[in-house]
Amino acid sequence: MYLAFASSALQTQLAYRGQVWASLFGKLIQVFAWIAIWMSVYGDAGSVAGATLPEMVTYALIGGTLTTAWDWRRLLNAVGASVCTGDVAVYLLKPMRYPLYLFATECGNLGYKLGAIALPVGVVVALTYGVLPPASLFHGVMFLLFWALSFVIIFLLAVLCGLLAFWLLTAFSLEWLLQGILSLLSGTAIPLWLFPDQVAAAVKLLPFAWISYHPIAVYLGKTSLAETWTYLGLGLVWAALLTLAVAVLWHRAALRITVQGG
Amino acid sequence: MGSALRVLPFLVRLYVKSRLEYRGAFLLAISAQFFSYACGYAAIWILLQKFETLGGWDWPELALLFSFQLLAYSMGAALSFVQFRDLEEQVRLGTFDTLLVKPFSPWAYLAFSGLNIGYAGHIILAAGLMAWSLTQVGMDWTPGSALYLFAALVSAALVNAALITMIGACAFIFVQSSHLYTIFFGFWELSRYPLTIFPAGLQWLLLTFVPLGLASFVPVAFLLGKDIPILGEWGGLAAPLAGPLLVLIAMAHWKYAISRYQGGGG
Repeated sequence: MYLAFASSALQTQLAYRGQVWASLFGKLIQVFAWIAIWMSVYGDAGSVAGATLPEMVTYALIGGTLTTAWDWRRLLNAVGASVCTGDVAVYLLKPMRYPLYLFATECGNLGYKLGAIALPVGVVVALTYGVLPPASLFHGVMFLLFWALSFVIIFLLAVLCGLLAFWLLTAFSLEWLLQGILSLLSGTAIPLWLFPDQVAAAVKLLPFAWISYHPIAVYLGKTSLAETWTYLGLGLVWAALLTLAVAVLWHRAALRITVQGG
Repeated sequence: MGSALRVLPFLVRLYVKSRLEYRGAFLLAISAQFFSYACGYAAIWILLQKFETLGGWDWPELALLFSFQLLAYSMGAALSFVQFRDLEEQVRLGTFDTLLVKPFSPWAYLAFSGLNIGYAGHIILAAGLMAWSLTQVGMDWTPGSALYLFAALVSAALVNAALITMIGACAFIFVQSSHLYTIFFGFWELSRYPLTIFPAGLQWLLLTFVPLGLASFVPVAFLLGKDIPILGEWGGLAAPLAGPLLVLIAMAHWKYAISRYQGGGG
């Protein structure tokens, strides 16, 4: 059943082709801008904080496409709107779990974004500036796991903030707060190895770092074998904690809705 | 005309009152936006701790550019963005027709009845950052340069408002305009960095077709005595004129777009 939701979401998205071109263009500009920034600051420098310019181009490419392909803002606002207006009550009547339904739908959306936006942008950038392969077969395979985990974590964060709107009555502020946190702590734009050492050590342990920083660091081979496994384990722990938080919040919100509806 | 001008403050007051009715949500929203932009700038600050300059600009100079770009945008967008983004919806639902029968300019009604005080967070951050950076960049202040900064800021705000209005007016012709806003914000984000770091094609675009670079990068570079690509010294002169010129173009475009409007009811 949940598979059907995923494919239905995919087909809905395919109906809006005008938006595709705009998003495609927006993404392309964003990735090109970051590559321009890296080229400008590196100049002739060979390696800064252990990373070379080609590595940073690859970093910008993966951070701009694969780990940020999916639009968490839309889901956060949709969940926020449905809990604020009470539309969510409809889902309580159906024989399914709302968070799982959302996850299935968003997997479909992710598939669409990857095919329609991330892939073309990735190909254009790779052909223009070149892209490095994964550091090794091990790092390549591990990257795929980290990437899946990255989607799960950002999905859970978006749902969590959306559900919080039930108490705050506004998803708008939560969206901006999360955006601020992510722009600094997810490592999508600035890799954490450029942070001051102690700050970096702390930020690497926060769940946001699994969204872009850890997957890309693994891809580029910046983590040793042992570190890679440790971070994968820690990431899974975060995913489990966030799942628990979503489950608890959803349960509480569902109870409140029943009371309000009564 | 005189009576129209008297109505404007009233429209603004109505909207401000309705927004402040939800004071908690309002304060939370502007704090969240303040925080979000501050984090974005902090990311570049961290970058500069390692690399010192970006395109030959050090941190206080970049902070001046960031704050100029954000301040100009928030002043222009307060007059236009949310109002004209939602115009698409009004056209689709047919509620725009009610504005056409008012004895009042539909543009002025939309712009002022929704004058977005929600940009307060942007403005506080930008004004604060600008005040700090102006004391750090070490430039010689003359009445002329202060006047230039002010004129360029007003011009840049007008460029933003005019572009946003033009995109919104496309809803009259194509019914949809939201994709164009996606593209606008793509360019808008670029316009906060020194233009010199981008390939020539992008520089041209940001100086002509989407003149956000002309509006913010050029005057700041001119004040700081930095290189201005393509335009050179002339850019300094062009920046304060860009706003008024674009407003004239936007007015003509608005007239044309409204003449193409056929009503959403069909």
